[in-house]
Amino acid sequence: MEVKQFSSIFENGVTTYCPGCEHGLLLKFIGMALDELGITEKAIMVGSVGCSTLAYKFLNVDYVQAPHGRAPAIMSAIKLLEKDKVVFGIQGDGDALSIGIAELIHAANRGIPITVFMYNNMVFGMTGGQMAPTTPEGMKTTTTPFGRDIKQMGPPLDACKILSSFPQISYLKRVVITPKPIFTKDRVMYSSKEAMDSYKAVLNAFKTQLMEGFSFVEFIGTCNVNWKMSILDSKKYVHEVGVKVYPPALCRDAFGVEKK
Amino acid sequence: MGAKAIAEAAVRSGLEAYFGYPITPSSEIMENISVLYGEKRYPWFKVFLQSASEIESVNMLFGAGAAGYVSMTATSGPGLSLMAEGISYAYASEVPFLIIDVNRGGPGLGNVAPEQSDISFVLNSLGHGGVKPIVLAPHTVQESMEHVHKGFELAFTYRIPVIMLTDALIVHMYDTVEWEPPYIVKPKVEWAARGRNYGPRHIINSIYLDPPELKGNKEKLLQKQKEIDKIAESECFMCYDDLDVLYIAIGISARISKEAVLKLRKKGVKAGLFRPITLSPLDKNSILKYSSHAEKIVSVEMNEGQLAQEIMRITRKDVEVLPYLGGYIPDVEEVAEAWK
Repeated sequence: MEVKQFSSIFENGVTTYCPGCEHGLLLKFIGMALDELGITEKAIMVGSVGCSTLAYKFLNVDYVQAPHGRAPAIMSAIKLLEKDKVVFGIQGDGDALSIGIAELIHAANRGIPITVFMYNNMVFGMTGGQMAPTTPEGMKTTTTPFGRDIKQMGPPLDACKILSSFPQISYLKRVVITPKPIFTKDRVMYSSKEAMDSYKAVLNAFKTQLMEGFSFVEFIGTCNVNWKMSILDSKKYVHEVGVKVYPPALCRDAFGVEKK
Repeated sequence: MGAKAIAEAAVRSGLEAYFGYPITPSSEIMENISVLYGEKRYPWFKVFLQSASEIESVNMLFGAGAAGYVSMTATSGPGLSLMAEGISYAYASEVPFLIIDVNRGGPGLGNVAPEQSDISFVLNSLGHGGVKPIVLAPHTVQESMEHVHKGFELAFTYRIPVIMLTDALIVHMYDTVEWEPPYIVKPKVEWAARGRNYGPRHIINSIYLDPPELKGNKEKLLQKQKEIDKIAESECFMCYDDLDVLYIAIGISARISKEAVLKLRKKGVKAGLFRPITLSPLDKNSILKYSSHAEKIVSVEMNEGQLAQEIMRITRKDVEVLPYLGGYIPDVEEVAEAWK
């Protein structure tokens, strides 16, 4: 079988993310979408701090490495000066919603046509699995050994709810990128619906930017290594607990790109 | 006013993007620039944006610089503290921009009167990991205008953040100026991240996970510093003989000290003033040359003696400090008296 080679993804197509992590899947979808829309040559990627930093090793586009949480500010400046380019950023939930929430909110409120992809694995992954603002109630992390206490820490932050209040956002969506395990009599199979939904969301986010709108997509994914779970258990956790805390939703589609 | 002159100089020199956050006593620079934004005679001035914090400002400068645009901001001490993170990243990734630090009283909230207390912060690592930006120190409104143009040029020549260290007095001072930019700064930026555009990709990066890679990048930056050291510039006012006293000062202190030197010369005291024009790199050869012929060295500064420390480190001679703290401005008579 001939494998189609995408120009924005490096030839070997291998990522160094932990086995079971969907981060590599997200990067692949971004690369495929760039190629499908024919915008690879004018794409500028802004990476933030965390596992998303490594994106530049797998996507063959221009790259600017932002300080922790500051990617939306950098993207805004580049887009204002390079209006005909496609500027997108990859952030984690800790990066975007903890240290960088001010930059995210102000970029979103200005409605500058950039695209933010947020991979939400509910912990700080790169630093070794500490609690993030998105950690669900009761989840054990290295800094919440007895589980997250929402009386002390508050409930997990919901990016889509926060960003819904900004009128100048054009596309706001949350999808689950983790494939759903389906148990048959003798083996486990994985659903492909999540991958297709995620790819569609990436495409639509870029389409929104090309129509001069701000787009934000949150991907609910796993971090089985830091959750201290097997790959299968982590995928089950997302579909049993994760989707209850973060139900997939299309919160805004100002240009109707979903229907087209 | 100094702030208006700086604003005019910046826009006429080719400023393409201004990002700023208000802070006394620097806000007048931003206000004056906002008026010039959108004027037809400055078609290159593309973006003016008030950011949500100094953290956002410096990162927007980072973005603009990474894309190869001439950008600047003006701030004061508390804002510069917040910008230190971004400056460190920019220094490591070789991203050019200009920051004007209008020094106010510190530490903490301090006050909004002029001081020169950011010298040590700016010179001895502005950010984590060992950061050495180019630092310019104008002492008049006229020179502030020249330094803005020079700041843009140096930032892009060496791909480095440039700090123009000035104070509340110069920026709020009314003065006669006569200046036009020698040319409009329009740097060549093949390295900038503006999209691949069917060519090789551009990477603006400060992460080097392997020690040999990071070592290589640091060595590259140090090698660049050797080139930067060659641009060191200073002025020695009335330093034409063996001196009874050599004053050392920058900014408004230097301007006041010049008056004191003239007063002393009239009395027959052999006085001179050494004034670094580039604070980093510091003109080591000149300071060694002039200090070796001086009986006494007096550093006049609006802080506890931060410039004196730098000078002592080079000359290994005692430097007497005449400090003005909390927003007080050097007094000509007092400075002149200090020669004894």
